[in-house]
Amino acid sequence: MALRGVWQLQKLVVSYCNWGGSSRGIRAFMESELPALKQKNPQLEVVTELSRGQHPYLKGIYRNRNERVVCVKNMDPEEVLLNATRLRNSLGRKVVKLRTRHVTKHPSVQGTWTTAVKF
Amino acid sequence: MASLRCIRELSRRATTVLSINQTRSICYLPAIEVSGTSISHGTVISNRSLTRDLPCDEGEESSEGEDEDDEDYEDSADTEVEREYSPAEKVEEAAEIGYKVMGPLKPSERLFKPYEPVFAIVQIGSHQFKVSNGDSIFTEKLKFCDINDKLVLTKVLLLGSASQTIIGRPILPDATVHAVVEEHALDEKVLIFKKKRRKNYRRTRGHRQELTKLRITDIQGIEKPEPKIVYKPSKEAVTEQSKAELVA
Repeated sequence: MALRGVWQLQKLVVSYCNWGGSSRGIRAFMESELPALKQKNPQLEVVTELSRGQHPYLKGIYRNRNERVVCVKNMDPEEVLLNATRLRNSLGRKVVKLRTRHVTKHPSVQGTWTTAVKF
Repeated sequence: MASLRCIRELSRRATTVLSINQTRSICYLPAIEVSGTSISHGTVISNRSLTRDLPCDEGEESSEGEDEDDEDYEDSADTEVEREYSPAEKVEEAAEIGYKVMGPLKPSERLFKPYEPVFAIVQIGSHQFKVSNGDSIFTEKLKFCDINDKLVLTKVLLLGSASQTIIGRPILPDATVHAVVEEHALDEKVLIFKKKRRKNYRRTRGHRQELTKLRITDIQGIEKPEPKIVYKPSKEAVTEQSKAELVA
């Protein structure tokens, strides 16, 4: 998640509820693994929000102003960490099927072959 | 059949618990707790389930009856044990499987140069790509690297420029291709739909492949043509010229 050396995930919003049972995993995650995540990613702004009565979610805000929301209700802290790491690892681009696995602006170096080329 | 399946499940659970605690040598021990009619199946299963975690030559045998076990195993794959690699093992596996060597993490240096008309054919895993400076490549997930890591792709099969081509037999030992890891992301979900008509059989399964995007920064091992310096007249000179023309 770094385009030409620039980190793409700017902000990670961790929204949880302090009463609901679906937030148990994320509450444990916030105590156990969130400080380590914050330390490993000093460029990332991590914000915790309390939203009572709602299911917990992770919201990633990217440099291209794209927001990716992942609902983490009823997940274990390890799974929440995996989802947070995935958000941090990806660019903010829309998830579409890849056209090609090789993206280039200069497809030919020695000249594109045509039937008229003689070696 | 149901009782056979129960015994298989139990034996598999037992062997996965064992494999967490044991080292590689367990591969060569026979199965322990399986009894009754399924002893022959049990030994084969234990080898297979162990070989999921530990590379073993014994697990190569593929029998027809293993297809069902394959499916069952993948259902419980969420609780798969992550293997701990030692640094030496990591380097070795990376060099062998992925044909890459980890460089240090990227500090504040400028790696991204403008385009050079040089290309290389590089192999990563089982896929080959024709790369040039500044291209991006999507490969299967590379395990031992994080974002913004510098990689050196060692398996280079061919180097080419406008005037020269160097062909490896099969690889070029002195050529290197430098790349930077841009992202580890999941591909879009593909739906795997199976149906057998008139047999009341329909299955839907989703799959998201884990990919790594690499940005190629440098190709070394071939003479690069010198970049042409194009002199652009500055804007002030152009405006002065146009004013002079108007006056004249």
